[in-house]
Amino acid sequence: MSAPKINRRDFLKVAGVGVTALAGLNLIRPAEASSVTPGPHQWAMVIDQSKCTGCGYCTLACRAHNDVPPEISWNQVIETGTVSGHQVFLARPCMQCGHAPCVDVCPVKASYYRPDGIVMMDYDRCIGCRYCEVACPYGARSFNWETFNGPNPAVPEWGEPEVARRPRGVVEKCAFCYQRIDRGLSLGMTPGVDTDATPACVVACPVKARIFGDMKDPESNVSKLLRERASYCLREDLGTAPRVYYLNANPQEME
Amino acid sequence: MNAANSLKPRKISPWMAWVGFLGILVVTGVAAGLLVFWKGLSITNLSDLVPWGLWISIDLSSIAMSAGAFSLCAVVYLLGLKRFEPVARTATFIGLIGYTMALLTLLLDIGRPDRFWHSMVYWNKHSLLWEVTMCVCLYLSVLVLESMPIFARFDWLKKRWPKLSGMMSRVHHYAPYLAIAGLGLSMLHQSSLGALYGVLKARPLWYRPDVSVLFIISAVAGGMALTVFASMLSARVTKRVNVDDSILDRVAWIVGWILVGYLYFRFWDALAMTYTYEPGRTEGLRLLTSGPLSFNFWVGEILLGTIVPMVLLINKRTRSIQLWRMLALALVVGGVAAYRWDTNLSGLIIVLSYLPGEPAIGYARYVPSLVEFLSGAGVVAYGLLAFSLGVRYLKVINHQVVEEHAEEGREVTQPAAAD
Repeated sequence: MSAPKINRRDFLKVAGVGVTALAGLNLIRPAEASSVTPGPHQWAMVIDQSKCTGCGYCTLACRAHNDVPPEISWNQVIETGTVSGHQVFLARPCMQCGHAPCVDVCPVKASYYRPDGIVMMDYDRCIGCRYCEVACPYGARSFNWETFNGPNPAVPEWGEPEVARRPRGVVEKCAFCYQRIDRGLSLGMTPGVDTDATPACVVACPVKARIFGDMKDPESNVSKLLRERASYCLREDLGTAPRVYYLNANPQEME
Repeated sequence: MNAANSLKPRKISPWMAWVGFLGILVVTGVAAGLLVFWKGLSITNLSDLVPWGLWISIDLSSIAMSAGAFSLCAVVYLLGLKRFEPVARTATFIGLIGYTMALLTLLLDIGRPDRFWHSMVYWNKHSLLWEVTMCVCLYLSVLVLESMPIFARFDWLKKRWPKLSGMMSRVHHYAPYLAIAGLGLSMLHQSSLGALYGVLKARPLWYRPDVSVLFIISAVAGGMALTVFASMLSARVTKRVNVDDSILDRVAWIVGWILVGYLYFRFWDALAMTYTYEPGRTEGLRLLTSGPLSFNFWVGEILLGTIVPMVLLINKRTRSIQLWRMLALALVVGGVAAYRWDTNLSGLIIVLSYLPGEPAIGYARYVPSLVEFLSGAGVVAYGLLAFSLGVRYLKVINHQVVEEHAEEGREVTQPAAAD
């Protein structure tokens, strides 16, 4: 009487453990650089801190071209102390990480990698849980706490919007002006060389502190610069593999 | 305690006053919730630096307090300790309420509540939040099924639709299967609610493997404690409840020993974290041990939340005194909620700089806004109201109720034979 009952119990236990294990497998798969195969282009940005004067044009151009509300900055310019009496600035767009914590944690795959390395947001899919904001080490993500109504103060002085305004309740961030890159490529232009195919912040920079280009192209400006000059990334220790590189402020260049 | 039993006709019975009080809180909560849906999250005090606050803490706490359901159902149906079955029924009902509370606060908290179903459709199987959402929804379905026999006891339903009521109570035959599903799903999401914090490299205070372990252990303690506390409190205020104190005493004793395990893990966790300086983590710990959260931490979590109830519940003399036991159980519940609140807030208000050079630490601020308090209170009041109604009309605390399968063996094995 009791023997078959125990067998059933055992079976159920094994089944329970099995189901649990199966469900857990995907969660514990080791983090990969990206679930998409890299495309022919890998976009990267270099920011030269010797040149940056902290004027903030990049932030304003970004606001206009991406229709970002005034209380949000996809691109922030931060004062980071002085070198030989010169104020140093650090401009911080989204790092477009190769191992992006935001892509890992997003429950609905609203954040994802494009084949060209850009970390994209699907604003129609985002549920506004803000887990990505909590996970991002760079504070590069902003939540739309309010509906952005009315005119954008950065328009038209700093440019015209090229993408749709995001609705209230979703998280938004910089995407390397993917719309300019895609449109430019389709017209046969080279992002980083032709201004119409280059991110707005790079184009707007009056001192050319930002350089944009294709890492896959060894002759691109970014490839050459990164070969010739020492560069660093923010919080490299985290292993996020950012695609935004910085050239350290050099006092001689700043004279 | 209720009007029906008293001979003198009274205008307002304590029951009516209680229901009225909760009703007012629920109505205010609904109004506050609608205001949030209408105006958006800008009327909260949440910010880009502290995007999760009071609601997440309520959400985490109500899921933790529901852990009595899976653990006691596993004890009854998988370990075969049938005498705990009546407590498991109470725990299941509390679990059902707790998970609906969690879903309500989540609905408030997400920026696009109209898209809550996206995680069902667009799967990021690598995301812990996706896994938690799926588990919570699946487990809520399990709880609904597990609660069918409880709802079948509603007198009105029995009279009105006896057939339906009969069908609902027959779901009980599947209790062992549901217990397995519940155990699997709960082991996953109760732990991964902690892991959800523990996997975030950007937050050194959270980034460690044992948050998940601490979350599930504290959840089991809190869930069982709430179940026993609610049963004892109900037994004191209404005659509609029938408790077998020896069962409650036993579960309370188990809670005491779970707290020993919890304290053990907590100690080594804290030791490993405090041993050397780690930017962000050490500052976060300082918030807890000597900063603004230190009262919560030392008194709420450790002293009153763990050590005092641990002693009171393991010690037979204090445990057998009803008021001491109830006090200890209430302290456990408070301690678990305080742990959730502290975990969430301490990791968020420490802002670690990403600038090169010296790691600079910033501090963010967060105090919930009135609308967060009111809507949060509304959710809690809904939970209390649902439980009170369950005690009154569904006999969720009745240790003399014997479910049908207690006739043993044959009936339970039927579904297995049908497979």
